[in-house]
Amino acid sequence: MTFSDLVFIVGTLLSWVGWYLAFRAVVIATDMFIGRPSVGSKTMQQRLLWSACPAGLALAIGGVLPMKAGSSPGVAWRFPLFWTVMPYTAWLGLACAAMVIVRAVQAWLGLNGMERAARLKAAGFWALGAALCIVLYGQDPGSKITVLKGGISMSPTTVVSIVLLAAGAIVAMTLAGRATASRGLAKSVVTQAMLVAGSLVFGLPFAFLLVTSFKEDRDMSSPNGIVWVPRVQDTKPYFDPLNPTYQGTYKGTTVQGVVIAHQPNGDVRIDIAKPLAIRGVTFDTPLSALKVVPTDAPVVTASLKGMPIEGMVVKDLDDGRKQIQVLKPPALKGQTALFLPGDVQPVRHIGLKLDNYPEALSYLPPETDQGLVYLKNTLIIVVLSVIGTILSSSVVAYAFSRMKFPGRDALFMILLSTMMLPGAVTLMPQFLIFRQLGWIDTLYPLWVPAFFASAFNVFLLRQFFMQVPMELEDAAKIDGCSYLKTYWNIMMPQIQPALAVIAIWTFLGAWNNFMGPLIYINSPENMPLSYALQLFQGDRSGEPGLLMAFATLCMLPVLLLFFFAQKYFIEGVTLSGFGGR
Amino acid sequence: MTKRGLALVALCLTPLIALAQSASPAPQQRQLMVWGLGVSPDSKGQDAVIREFERRNPDINVRILSMGAGGMNPQKLLTSIVGNVAPDVINQDRFTIADFASRGAFRPLDDLIARDEKSDPLCPRKDQYYAAPWAEASYGGHLYGIPTGADNRILYYNKAIFREKAADLRAAGLDPDRPPRTWSEVLAYSKVLTEFNKDGTLKRAGFMPNFGNSWLYMYAFENNADFMSPDGRRCTLDTPESEEALKFMVQGYDLVGGYEQAKAFESGFLGKENDAFIIGKVAMKIDGDWTLADPLSRYAPGLDFGVGPPPVPDDRYYHRGRFKNEKDTFVTWMGGFSLAIPRGAHNVQDAWKFIKFATSTEGRLIEASNQMAWDRRRGRFYVPRQQGSKEANLELFKRFKPAEPKFAAAVKMHLEMAPYGRIRPATFVGQKLWNEHAKAMETACYHKASPHDALLAGQRAVQQDLDAFFGRAQYPVINLMAPLEVGAGVLVIALIVLLVLFLRAPLGRLAKNEAKWAYILVSPWVIGFLVFTLGPMLASLLFSFTQYDVLNEARWVGLHNFADMFGADRDNVMKALGNSVYLAAAGVPLGLATGLAIALLLNTAQRGMRFYRTFFYMPAIVPGVASAVLWTWVLTPDANKGLINSFWQQTLSPWLGVTPPAWLNSADWSKPALILMGLWGAGSGMILWLAGLKGVPSSMYEAASIDGANGNQQFWAVTFPTLTPIVFFNCVMGFIGALQEFDRMYIMKSSSDGTVGPDNSMLTPVYHLFTNGFAFFKMGYASAIAWLIFAIILAITFVQFKLSPRWVHNEVEQA
Repeated sequence: MTFSDLVFIVGTLLSWVGWYLAFRAVVIATDMFIGRPSVGSKTMQQRLLWSACPAGLALAIGGVLPMKAGSSPGVAWRFPLFWTVMPYTAWLGLACAAMVIVRAVQAWLGLNGMERAARLKAAGFWALGAALCIVLYGQDPGSKITVLKGGISMSPTTVVSIVLLAAGAIVAMTLAGRATASRGLAKSVVTQAMLVAGSLVFGLPFAFLLVTSFKEDRDMSSPNGIVWVPRVQDTKPYFDPLNPTYQGTYKGTTVQGVVIAHQPNGDVRIDIAKPLAIRGVTFDTPLSALKVVPTDAPVVTASLKGMPIEGMVVKDLDDGRKQIQVLKPPALKGQTALFLPGDVQPVRHIGLKLDNYPEALSYLPPETDQGLVYLKNTLIIVVLSVIGTILSSSVVAYAFSRMKFPGRDALFMILLSTMMLPGAVTLMPQFLIFRQLGWIDTLYPLWVPAFFASAFNVFLLRQFFMQVPMELEDAAKIDGCSYLKTYWNIMMPQIQPALAVIAIWTFLGAWNNFMGPLIYINSPENMPLSYALQLFQGDRSGEPGLLMAFATLCMLPVLLLFFFAQKYFIEGVTLSGFGGR
Repeated sequence: MTKRGLALVALCLTPLIALAQSASPAPQQRQLMVWGLGVSPDSKGQDAVIREFERRNPDINVRILSMGAGGMNPQKLLTSIVGNVAPDVINQDRFTIADFASRGAFRPLDDLIARDEKSDPLCPRKDQYYAAPWAEASYGGHLYGIPTGADNRILYYNKAIFREKAADLRAAGLDPDRPPRTWSEVLAYSKVLTEFNKDGTLKRAGFMPNFGNSWLYMYAFENNADFMSPDGRRCTLDTPESEEALKFMVQGYDLVGGYEQAKAFESGFLGKENDAFIIGKVAMKIDGDWTLADPLSRYAPGLDFGVGPPPVPDDRYYHRGRFKNEKDTFVTWMGGFSLAIPRGAHNVQDAWKFIKFATSTEGRLIEASNQMAWDRRRGRFYVPRQQGSKEANLELFKRFKPAEPKFAAAVKMHLEMAPYGRIRPATFVGQKLWNEHAKAMETACYHKASPHDALLAGQRAVQQDLDAFFGRAQYPVINLMAPLEVGAGVLVIALIVLLVLFLRAPLGRLAKNEAKWAYILVSPWVIGFLVFTLGPMLASLLFSFTQYDVLNEARWVGLHNFADMFGADRDNVMKALGNSVYLAAAGVPLGLATGLAIALLLNTAQRGMRFYRTFFYMPAIVPGVASAVLWTWVLTPDANKGLINSFWQQTLSPWLGVTPPAWLNSADWSKPALILMGLWGAGSGMILWLAGLKGVPSSMYEAASIDGANGNQQFWAVTFPTLTPIVFFNCVMGFIGALQEFDRMYIMKSSSDGTVGPDNSMLTPVYHLFTNGFAFFKMGYASAIAWLIFAIILAITFVQFKLSPRWVHNEVEQA
């Protein structure tokens, strides 16, 4: 660290202390005049003095000390900032050292020998930790400590927002200080503000997802930050007199394309342009079966003979130039001219590029029927897994909780002991089992195991069955109910909430299952959504609009279910007790 | 749940089961399943070949699997071969053919060639082909694939940039009118042409050794390095020749501000019209001939570029030192694909028919002429691709030479370099060698190890596989069915004994009836336990002492697999465990703290609690794949695109002068990136805390406030201790979860092969198991890893539960 760094740090610290004290002085002053101070006015004046004077001093020194740092010249006025970049070992070491000092001071101030000894012992431990961290820090040859210097440049918006923030804080603090009754209000205002801020942070990725899925490609990258307001290109319907676009039917789907050849028998050969999945396929058809449709010509502005014009691009030439037909001003309307791509600016209006969604689906393999097959597969897996899990787990749990049979406790112990077994251990032998059954590239491996009761669910449901009063079952037995009937008619309705929770877990697990399909599924017609999305990401990595559209479609059903069954989702977390990460 | 409910469930089930079983309609034609051919709207030449083939063989229907499997994903292909659902034809990256062939995954084609050579003019003949691709598709004296394309790499340079910097180049003693020819020249040119922004980031890179398509293999070939001993038994990745080549790459990257910065710079360009070479962000690159068709001819026909042979070591160029008697001044690296028939293909004869047609000169010409017609219609001009067949290659160039002189010159350069193509060694460890060579390159370029050490580590890893293969003869073959039969026998006997015991048990009639029903009711779990848990567990334990790849017989290797985990493969295993520890140690507490912070806020809010709770919880239920896809974009290093780095660029960069990290593209930041993503899903932790907070009895707070505790003290003395069970449980589960993380890493890793994340920084134990188990089908070794994971989980659970009474507050136990 050089001397100028030190000066910079001192200067920064002083300025910030100065700003804080100045802020405090303003608060005290406000409190004196409009608030209801809890102490005498003399004390207040003293406090004001003790804030204002050091503030001035600190600001003056901080301002005098040279603290030019960072970049962006021309910004004269900056809030200086500095930050130390250290490896985490150094940070830990620093924290430990701080704790040593704290404990040492506490020991010095200790009331009696016993406390002093305890504090000293603690200080010793912290010192040990600090030493360890310093050793670790020394181990890493690449580690170095750098001081970053910079400042918040004081653009008008920054100044306004800082002033507003300060004003808001002063108002809040004054309100909070007024009375205990309004203290709750101020506190809840602050809480609400923090919650809103938190929601914003948590909601940003969602917003990013949604906005991106509605953006045009040209908005994906911007040096001025993320484009949050999507714009779309204006288009005008355009009939090309020379090479019209026709609409017809090819193998049952409506397609659009242009004529590329005339056959001797009078048929024409159509080169399909839409839908994208079969783009470039050609087919022969009689001209009478076709209908001329307009194309969407993008509207652009340019300048023609020194005059600004608005026109539509009617043709993209091979060499990149664009042929433009003028729309405005009326004087030049109908004229065409050629422009270099750099000379035209697109006319765009705020709007959503909804086309990303159908386009994303049309890129999927044709045999998946625009992705519906993926959805069908996912639904098969999910529904059968949920039914299987619920039926098998509950029936086993019922037997374990309510029936007596030799070996029950031993079996239950075995069941409990399998709960810790990681899936990794059985992964490969299970693959071989399914291979033996000829189930590779089918959906069976993904849902059949659900019909064989999982240990955790059995354990959980057993707890719930145990809570059902014995009398209910006894009454049923006296009435001559069979075990199956008792289980289904008497017991199952009693534990419906638990079943709902398990159903939700299973639903999420099956919907999100990725490794299973990755191992077992090859053909597109057997793929579930999760795996298809990963493959789509590989295929369309350059087109975030399409990717985000498909991702949105994949998560939409889960989010919908969440809104309708929120209660059970939340209960599920509480029941499992597992929420970290 | 009444009878109606049951009926309803049954009603729902029927169509679904019907759906699940609905087979595709009976085909009138024989289906030929082809994998690995990329289908895109622009692959019209390939479509034409298939249509023509179908026209000539009306009884065959060619089906191309257009999504997912094939190509560079060895896991999908091997799984399908092992799973008996192999495709009929696979378009396979040629250098991996030996790898698959050695395991018996491909069918040798010699007998088919011998049969048809005389009778069928379409049948491929060895003399039609360049020697290199033909040799690459052979293994152990048999031919396993017929080469299609044979791309080689040459130097492309941007003439406009050379002109712009002509004065500087001349000042440095370099000729701006020709491309560099030697390594030292290319570095000198790069130094002049590279420009930096004011903040030290790259503005334009002169030459990035790995940009385009040029790997360590390329430079090592130029330096006459070989990667395998001639007998194929020893890996010689670490030779002075390779080391020199790698040193050259490291130097090249250091010149442009280091590997990490260069990679971040690269990832900022999406390709197509934004290709870094096209927009003048990279002045020179070594690339294959595909770059001519797309993107050069498509997006930048006007770009003023030139070509040259790939620069070679100075000694080679001047024929001195080791290269005194070397006759080839320039050499290049040749790769490409081959059509092969996997073992177990259902339709071998049709597959062979298809391969013959598609690889014949006639087939290649059909492809080229149709592709040209298509490109013409799109207003692009056609650039013929390099072929493995000499005959087809010359014919194509004769007929379809581009009119544009610079493109014609480039195609000609590729054509001239074709006879000097070197291939990656045709060895069964081809994929592994590739992965290790890529890893060594990365490690050295990051300066995490010296080139020598990096190469040595890779060589060791490859040698391990070689030794395992050649050493396997010493291990006895065992019959895996025998233990299975014994196990089944024991099971049957046990069941009979249990049945007899049960029938003779001194139980009353009612009790017996109850027990009978109970056994029926628990049977789903018992069967599931035996079939899906106990059986696999024992099998996995047995596997872990064997070498077994399903396609060949198993061999008993004793503790060898376990020794490997801490021996030859120690680096990977330790890295994987270290990553898990990192993710758990930093991720779980941070996740819990975030959850707690939100929960405390929510707990005090009188209004809108339900709304906020929904909002904060929502990210936690987003499907894992979708959230990984989303976060890949959120974490994009390019500040113009990535959500986080865009904000960073707008705030932290100007304020503090800190450049945004490369997140998933950086070895140091990829795990923090994953943790950050995990924090987004901290909502479930919040729910847990909320439930816990509600559970703290208010009497305790009253007591505390009477004792004069303030809010802060109340939290640490009352709230937190009562919540410690949650902390404890989540720490245990979090670590266990981190050991088994897989989905996020698989989806978010930036490299398509080789390492999992930069420098393997996203490798987890289960990922390592997956790669070994399903990409290499090393069932034995993967099982050993599985048992290591299991042992660690057991140990952690045991230790934590032993320790827990010391610090976990448990209301119930104390009461």
